[in-house]
Amino acid sequence: MQPTGSKTRRCNINKLKPLPDWTPNPRPPDDDSLFQEHRSWLQLQIVLLICRFTPTCPEVIRILSLGMDKDLPLITRIKLRIHYLMCSFCERYAKQLKYMRTVAREFPKKIGEISDAKLPTEAKERLKEALLK
Amino acid sequence: MSLQPGGIQGAMTKTAVERGTGKVAATDPERWVDEHGDLLYRYALLRVRKPEIAQDLVQETLLAAMRSYEKFAGQSLVRSWLCGILKHKLGDYFRKLGRETSFTDLEFLADECSEKFVPEGYWVHMNGPKEWKPEVDEVMHRDEFWKVMRECLGRLPDRVATVFMMREMDEIESKEICATLSISENNLWVMLHRARMALRKCLATNWFENPEVQH
Repeated sequence: MQPTGSKTRRCNINKLKPLPDWTPNPRPPDDDSLFQEHRSWLQLQIVLLICRFTPTCPEVIRILSLGMDKDLPLITRIKLRIHYLMCSFCERYAKQLKYMRTVAREFPKKIGEISDAKLPTEAKERLKEALLK
Repeated sequence: MSLQPGGIQGAMTKTAVERGTGKVAATDPERWVDEHGDLLYRYALLRVRKPEIAQDLVQETLLAAMRSYEKFAGQSLVRSWLCGILKHKLGDYFRKLGRETSFTDLEFLADECSEKFVPEGYWVHMNGPKEWKPEVDEVMHRDEFWKVMRECLGRLPDRVATVFMMREMDEIESKEICATLSISENNLWVMLHRARMALRKCLATNWFENPEVQH
């Protein structure tokens, strides 16, 4: 199959022709969803098709980060969903971004306990003096 | 009789008593230093990283608190009221900093991608993200986790950490952060993306995938 004209693709399928020991992002062993690590020919074709129409992983995680700060267009969100079908890593990345957001919001409440920084005594004295003025 | 015993509980009784009696303000600011000074300092230090500046910010906070004490009227705890003022002071500080220096840091992690992805643009299987266990609500109760979190935040470069904390801790919208720090939205997004990548990796290596940690 020839790549079509000069249009740059995010992912060159010819380059991705299945090597015996490599296919794009097989499901990790601890994941039991649709596309398993050992893909049949048909599954592999679907995966390659997904590769063709969705952004590559570095691009996906950039978009995911962007999605944490603004609303993504519907088409992008659909592409992400489709990408997840063959890439649980990016799906996890998305989950972990939310995980980090949740813990980051909680963090200031904990800072009193986990930090042992103390105002030096002389700084405290200085503060009190400044306040009494 | 002391109207203000220590701690948050104490602050609650205090406000209750105060509404009845009217004024106890005279010696309060001094108590604030002892009771809330360290907490304010810790928070300020997390955000600005320089002890002198953190101390100055605590001082400004308490001075401002003293001036507006009448308006406070005990609707919330003294502690959260003071923290609120400190947040404003931090905002002012960063605004000034943003005007005076360039707040953009695009150097950090510029070539990070090469190890994690194969040239075609997919995760190297061994280095892809692994599941994070335990779940969020469980990890909240683990002091060790919060220490790792502090470590990892500490490893981010100053400016990257600042934008990350503004966005994720203070929940400020990106437009507002850009206005405060005088940076472009694109630069902000690049910095946030890199901060998230670095923090994710750090948390993964030091906590979630660390064999020495008892989960």
